[in-house]
Amino acid sequence: MKGAIQIFDRFHEIVNERVRSSLDERFCYASDASQIEGLPDFVIRPKSTEEVSRILMICNEFEIPVTARGAGTGLAGGATPVKGGVVLDMSSMNNIIEFDIENLQVIVEPGVVPEKLNRTLKSSGFFFPPDPGSSAICTIGGMISNNSSGIHCIKYGTTRNYVLDLQVVLADGRVINTGSKVLKSSVGYDLTRLFVGSEGTLGIITRAGLKIMPLPIAKRLVVASFDSAVIAGKVVIQIFSAGIIPSACEILDNTTIAVLKRCDPNLVFPNLGDIILFEVDGTDNSTAEQSYRIIEICAPLAQSIREVSSKTEMGAIWEARRLVGAAISRLDPTKTRVYAGEDVGVPIKQIPILIKKIQEISEEFDIPAMKYGHIGDGSLHVALFIDIMDPDQWERLKRAQEKIHRTAIELGGTVSSEHGVGLARAIYMRDQLGNDFLEIMQSIKRTFDPKGILNPGKLSL
Amino acid sequence: MNLDLRVISKCIRCGNCRAVCPVFEEEGWESANTRGRIMIIKSLANGHNQSPEVLESLNACTTCGLCIENCPAGINPPDLVEVARRELASLGIMTEVQVELHRNILGAGNTFGERLDRLAWLHDRRVLKKKADYIYFAGCLASFRNPEISSKAFEILSRFGATVLQNEQCCGSPLIRTGFDASPLIEHNLREIDRVGAGAIITGCAGCYTTLKNDYPSQIDIISISEFLADHLQEMELRRLNLQVTYHDPCHLGRMNKIYEKPRQLIEAICSFEEMVTNRKDARCCGGGGGVRAGYKDLSLRLARRRLDDIPQGVDCIITSCPLCLRNLSDVSNDKKVMDIVELVALSME
Repeated sequence: MKGAIQIFDRFHEIVNERVRSSLDERFCYASDASQIEGLPDFVIRPKSTEEVSRILMICNEFEIPVTARGAGTGLAGGATPVKGGVVLDMSSMNNIIEFDIENLQVIVEPGVVPEKLNRTLKSSGFFFPPDPGSSAICTIGGMISNNSSGIHCIKYGTTRNYVLDLQVVLADGRVINTGSKVLKSSVGYDLTRLFVGSEGTLGIITRAGLKIMPLPIAKRLVVASFDSAVIAGKVVIQIFSAGIIPSACEILDNTTIAVLKRCDPNLVFPNLGDIILFEVDGTDNSTAEQSYRIIEICAPLAQSIREVSSKTEMGAIWEARRLVGAAISRLDPTKTRVYAGEDVGVPIKQIPILIKKIQEISEEFDIPAMKYGHIGDGSLHVALFIDIMDPDQWERLKRAQEKIHRTAIELGGTVSSEHGVGLARAIYMRDQLGNDFLEIMQSIKRTFDPKGILNPGKLSL
Repeated sequence: MNLDLRVISKCIRCGNCRAVCPVFEEEGWESANTRGRIMIIKSLANGHNQSPEVLESLNACTTCGLCIENCPAGINPPDLVEVARRELASLGIMTEVQVELHRNILGAGNTFGERLDRLAWLHDRRVLKKKADYIYFAGCLASFRNPEISSKAFEILSRFGATVLQNEQCCGSPLIRTGFDASPLIEHNLREIDRVGAGAIITGCAGCYTTLKNDYPSQIDIISISEFLADHLQEMELRRLNLQVTYHDPCHLGRMNKIYEKPRQLIEAICSFEEMVTNRKDARCCGGGGGVRAGYKDLSLRLARRRLDDIPQGVDCIITSCPLCLRNLSDVSNDKKVMDIVELVALSME
């Protein structure tokens, strides 16, 4: 980069030792958990909104790309600096600014880890519901930027449903607030919701007001296995029709079950069929009733049904489910999971069709796949795994993921349900959203970031 | 570089290690985290960036193994770090501290380069036996820095027929952890062990334990002193002490070798016991291992301070079973005594 030393010195004046440009540090920030790579010129760990603002003023002046990053757990290259420039590692801004329980909200910095937030909230009887598999690692800023969710979004919704207010530093260094402490407002454009899911392309989030919910008193888990995903899908619809909204409703295929058992040999799962985990939460009485009704509805169609009564077993199942995506190497040491085509979603009625088509794709390209996901909201995680030392398998994997994405779009679905677009899925934006939609996005981008310095190359912008 | 890309590439960069890496928690940079280290190792394997800069990342790993417990892909990052350190050292890429450690150990047979008598803690050499069933392996730290602990340990173990090696040398752990070949030391100690003809070696050092157990040929039993004493509770006259203690699991005894219960059995036979906030496989590292105390003392002591945050309220002292943990925790503990498990047993036998 031209004048890199002078630029470094300018950053150093702002953050002292919290800027680095050594090759090894830059290399560590060259990718997230996706296959997208890009080497930054500088890595900066800001500690305050003011520091972010001053950094952006410099970047805007010299047209230096800026890519915000939380914990780097993203699966689409959203935090990868594909055009170089600055990576802003926001994970050091990790203070919980205010617990405003009386107003049902918390104010946090973007680097707060959701699991830590929830550990702190627990004593007050509240929680922040969105719970991606990476809850112990990822950051609130990353969740907001990708509109993350997790197994409980079927009942509790996605991150978008919980963001009340954002403090954002714009490309030129100006600082705005997009909302307030009110739980609803009908004044003006809803910039809060615009920033949610914008993947750092419109501004840098430096503070967030988040709505919180009361913790449920009781939870129950029903494990049911079915001959096929088609039957499982029908059961899910029947459960909704009966007026029951489970707090989680996860489908796991056979390969996924084998890996789960390898993760924790003590887990008891049926050996055949597709399994659905139905979790209900609420009071003791309401969960008992809902669990009873779920078992009743499943009974005529299920191969096996079991209610998990022990809290320990329930915890172990969800913990294993949380880690299963990355655990394929435990089943077959020659295979590694590659995140590609891993986050498609379709209208829930189409899930059985999607599962069938993905199985066909897996067979066509001879790439084994685990299929698991949130059947209750139509999102399916596909874990493709290959011998990463084999170029031919890489090639087939690329073709398989392309076909998976196209299939989701053809079924009226989305290429990403909760992981974001980044660069990995940017090529599908036009097909999924259409030309006019994309043009409007581009004009919004120009309004917020005329020089195009914020996370350039992402979201097809 | 001789680094196995297949093993390295099992890391899918999910970042689960980020949630537990104690060094990352202190430093905040990705290069101070397990995931970053693996990315650096991958770059080395691909022939990039073979410069001393990478040592700042790789040498600051305590090899505590918390990341192993948290890795869904089943990788053993400390192994990768040690292999990378070895490859770099073989190219002459190492820090001054590594050079000094290497010189000390190979020159004087101990970590400190001490030329003094290693058995100075032994008050009466006449108790040494040429042949014995058990050998007490004291290790460098207990021999030169905590002689009172070696002395007490041997006093107890000699009742069970143990002897010590006439010419014990460093087990090789510091060399292996920091990227060097320890075979001259291993061969020397094996010759000494053969001479005594013992069936088992008992050690009070977690670093010596894991090295003797995992890096020496396996024909001889390796027993940690807390295991041995817990198995011989009935044969010792222990009196109950009016103490409330907690126990710090040394990484290389606990996570690396799964020795969790015996130290607790031993402690509970003597006094009241309460767990630290993180314990057993989740126990936070004291910050001393992997060459970090030697190379990055400030970081090491900050990690030790964090570990003290895990002490439950109302305990009188912290027990551990590793002289390195003992030193690191003692250096930062102002109001709580840190004691080796041998000292607790000796106190109970007084």
